Amino acid sequence: MSSEQFNYDVLVIGSGPAGQKSAIQAAKAGQRVAIIERDSLFGGACVHRGTIPSKTLRENALRVKHMRQNAALADFELGEDTEMHTLINRLDEVLKSHDDYMRKQMDRNDVERIHGRASFVDNHTIKITKVSGDTADVSVKTVIIAAGSYPRNPDNIPIDHEHLFDSDSILSMLYLPSSLTVLGGGVIASEYASIFQALGVKVTMIDRYPTPLGFLDSDMTDTFVHAFENMGGTWMGSQNVEKVYWDGISDVVTECADGTVVRSQKLLCAAGRLANVDGLQLENAGLSLNERGLISVDENLCTDVANIYAAGDVIGPPSLASASMEQGRRAACNALGIEIGTMSQLIPAGIYSIPELSSVGLTEKQAREQYGNVLVGTAQFAEVARGQISGNTEGLLKIVADAEGKKILGVMLVGEGSTEVVHIGHMAMLSNADVDIFVESTFNFPTLAEAYRIAGLEILAQRPGK
Amino acid sequence: MSSQVESLSDALRQLINSGGIEVPMLPEVANKALILAQNPDSDASEMARLIQSDQSLAGHVMRIANSAAYTPMSNLVSLQQAIARLGMGVISEIALAAAIGAKMFNTPGYEDYVADIWRHALATSLWSKEIARHCRSNVEVAFLAGLLHSVGRPAVLQAILDLAEQQKVSLTKGEIQQLENTYCQQVSQAVVNSWKMPTLVIDAVSEYTDQNSDLPTGEQTAQITAGARFATHMLKPDNLDREILLTLPALTTLNLYQDEVETLLGKTEAVKARLEGLSS
Repeated sequence: MSSEQFNYDVLVIGSGPAGQKSAIQAAKAGQRVAIIERDSLFGGACVHRGTIPSKTLRENALRVKHMRQNAALADFELGEDTEMHTLINRLDEVLKSHDDYMRKQMDRNDVERIHGRASFVDNHTIKITKVSGDTADVSVKTVIIAAGSYPRNPDNIPIDHEHLFDSDSILSMLYLPSSLTVLGGGVIASEYASIFQALGVKVTMIDRYPTPLGFLDSDMTDTFVHAFENMGGTWMGSQNVEKVYWDGISDVVTECADGTVVRSQKLLCAAGRLANVDGLQLENAGLSLNERGLISVDENLCTDVANIYAAGDVIGPPSLASASMEQGRRAACNALGIEIGTMSQLIPAGIYSIPELSSVGLTEKQAREQYGNVLVGTAQFAEVARGQISGNTEGLLKIVADAEGKKILGVMLVGEGSTEVVHIGHMAMLSNADVDIFVESTFNFPTLAEAYRIAGLEILAQRPGK
Repeated sequence: MSSQVESLSDALRQLINSGGIEVPMLPEVANKALILAQNPDSDASEMARLIQSDQSLAGHVMRIANSAAYTPMSNLVSLQQAIARLGMGVISEIALAAAIGAKMFNTPGYEDYVADIWRHALATSLWSKEIARHCRSNVEVAFLAGLLHSVGRPAVLQAILDLAEQQKVSLTKGEIQQLENTYCQQVSQAVVNSWKMPTLVIDAVSEYTDQNSDLPTGEQTAQITAGARFATHMLKPDNLDREILLTLPALTTLNLYQDEVETLLGKTEAVKARLEGLSS
């Protein structure tokens, strides 16, 4: 079939970060592109149920925390009947403006937006089912699957979206509960646990691992746990949850294997996410899922079927919006034979908990495993004037360098501002700069960026032969 | 419309616009039940005390607790047992449903009609809750907004009957219905405002209309709109058949695909049983 005989050159399934970028990239390359979204709004879970709503709540949680910290300036207590709606008051505006922006961008690039569900008839034919039930088949040359993910609900956790929530429904609570149990120790669990604790909810985090966010170094996670517990939260690591149920009266009961029982008004289960592939009928296109329930792709983001590519959460970690966007762009380029550079393996991770955490490159643990001896420099935010001025003293920056104290192997931060400040280290690593760049450069004063100089100096002082 | 009816309509409009319409007080027990359900520090014993303070409500709760919909195969003998079994959320729903009922309104000759409105509102609240659960939206807002979406109807009916008596006007059932349809939404809005319902409930009830063809923009409004139609389909299928139900614009707002609507309709027997329990 020649290109003209297809309805579209490229059809993108899903309008989240990966889908948007792949559609725009393909359109900019002069292709006839359509993007199909089953939700009525564009943007995927990231925009409507994940990243943006939780960050909007986080902004207000930070304000509440700051007002409590500054009791001398404002005697502040959050009312018992504070509605969640009030706490995410700007969400509608944020979402609307994001939706408008995306629609305009799609229109400007002549990307056709289709509201409906997609399913494969074969590898070149997609069936579109509208909300009304109407269906239509379209023929496509290339398909990019960017359908995202949805919360995994373990069988022993009876999520009812009334007392027991998942990360897609937690923000539908009408009022802030007095207490909340958070099951899990990953990014979503840590973000929501600390945000609700900052809002004054009594939060208990329970996970089977000894520390939350186990992919980070323990000094980072210890700082997070310390800050969380300082706000009044409880971390319960190395606990296996056996049974969870609503007692029918007023509490959700969580029973652990060691006999510990935790009662709370509401519960959030954050047990990971699954690829959103139900209903796509991948088998009709000759595709199957791997053992982790994900779509396997090669280094070009191509699936086992030559004209089908995949990007974002459907292919698995890192499952970050930032990485998904780049994957989407690259999937489109690869599908269309557009030459691109190698995708940098340096993908920063940002965790929007309170306090924030962020990292790029190797952790200290990973660096020691790979390189043996390494040099480490740290700086406490309390040592930096900006940290003291803004009361942001509970933070830490760590630079990991090779044994010579020159090559930067990784940068990690915990503390407010981490997700922004990490990019200084990120850029230094991308440009292959030595640790010296942090010592020889002039930073604004007072800024958190000064922490780089302090940590860099610590590494320089440990250099062999010094 | 006859000149007499027009004159009554003018008087009714003035009454509503001037805030002079008699908005029923939220019964104390319902108000307290709402406060208890919303207060994170309240517990079951407070709810038990509240219910025990109202003998007829206590009896009502026991009847419902022992109904097949809630506790099949068991025989609850005490209120404490019932609360333990049903939970705070359900108890507060029962208290609301029992307290905000047809008895709040003085509509002589129309008691059965008002009872029908109330039964439909209860069914709407239960369906709205199921729809909200499916949409990962708040179930408490959906229940309350569904329960109160037509609360202005009996209130405006009472005002029409009062005015007709004052002005010695005889109205046909059709004329009463027309006036009621014209003003019920405005009065529903006044009632939920006067009862200081949560913002989302006020917004949903304010935006609600009875028009099947209207496309609600707000999610909660769409939930109660769909809930009300599901209720009509369940209670009076001749008034709204399945085919029309599946093409409702509110379902588009909620982004409910046909198979999801079918899944929801699969809960009809459970909703019916719960409705029987609540209205027994």
